[in-house]
Amino acid sequence: MESAVKKHRTVDNIAISYTGIFDTEILSVLAKEIEGTLSQDDKVNKKVFKIFIELAQNISFYSLEREVNSEGSDMGVGTMIIRNFDTYFEFSTGNKTTMENIIPVMEKCDNINSMSREKLREYRRLQRNMPAGEKGGGNIGLIQVALTASNPIQYSLVKCEDGSYFYIVSVRIDKDK
Amino acid sequence: MEDIHIEGVHEAYFTPTVNFEVATGKCEISGESYLEETTKFYSRLFEWIKAYTSTIKGPLVFDFKLSYFNTSSSKCLVDILDMLKSYKNNGGDVTVNWYYDDSDEELEEVDDFILETGLQINKIPMEF
Repeated sequence: MESAVKKHRTVDNIAISYTGIFDTEILSVLAKEIEGTLSQDDKVNKKVFKIFIELAQNISFYSLEREVNSEGSDMGVGTMIIRNFDTYFEFSTGNKTTMENIIPVMEKCDNINSMSREKLREYRRLQRNMPAGEKGGGNIGLIQVALTASNPIQYSLVKCEDGSYFYIVSVRIDKDK
Repeated sequence: MEDIHIEGVHEAYFTPTVNFEVATGKCEISGESYLEETTKFYSRLFEWIKAYTSTIKGPLVFDFKLSYFNTSSSKCLVDILDMLKSYKNNGGDVTVNWYYDDSDEELEEVDDFILETGLQINKIPMEF
């Protein structure tokens, strides 16, 4: 599993990349890479880690493309790339989805990006008190990503040949904050 | 009623260390919280608090010392704080201390818990 995780490529500033099933094992491998080796700055590593957990779990739970791992668990398939630039890291995930599923997510991103930090914190407080999501979540993963990164969430959609869409979400984590 | 003692684990998932004592009402949740079944784990803690506040009715001193918790965990932590607030509103003796990693974001998180629950929480920065 560790061999599937590509590290420290010099092309395109890629620090870590992975494509495949997002199950417990790979999340654990990727988490160790981020916590331990991403940079010398523990505070930045922690921010990237926090964002990773929320976005990687979204792939596990919600990706249209699924695989069954060696333990019989059905988990989502997707891609994660962390790119290392002089003053920031760029964290991106991608997974297949349907237009129906992704419209509310894109609307949520637009909503999140339009808010000041104070408004975003208020939104998080409000959403956290809503009934738990299907996966027991607090409906606040994307809000948390925006607050931790202190930067907007960028997203794009690419139409696939089979009529589904590939949804890419990226966020920048500054190194000096 | 029995005490709760759970040893924290940092493996594929992160289980927090939990110590809840019936005799003293001293309760601590520490370490990291990122679980496979978050609600299932915290349900046991909710049940303990419910039983303590309805049968023992003694003072409660809650210390939270979490260096990391994911968003699913944060919802359960707020649920605990809501239970403590409810106990306090009904005359219970409640003290809550939240130890946070000294950063603006972590301090905001505690401030938001205070705003969300209306509970008085002592904020204590510490190096994790």
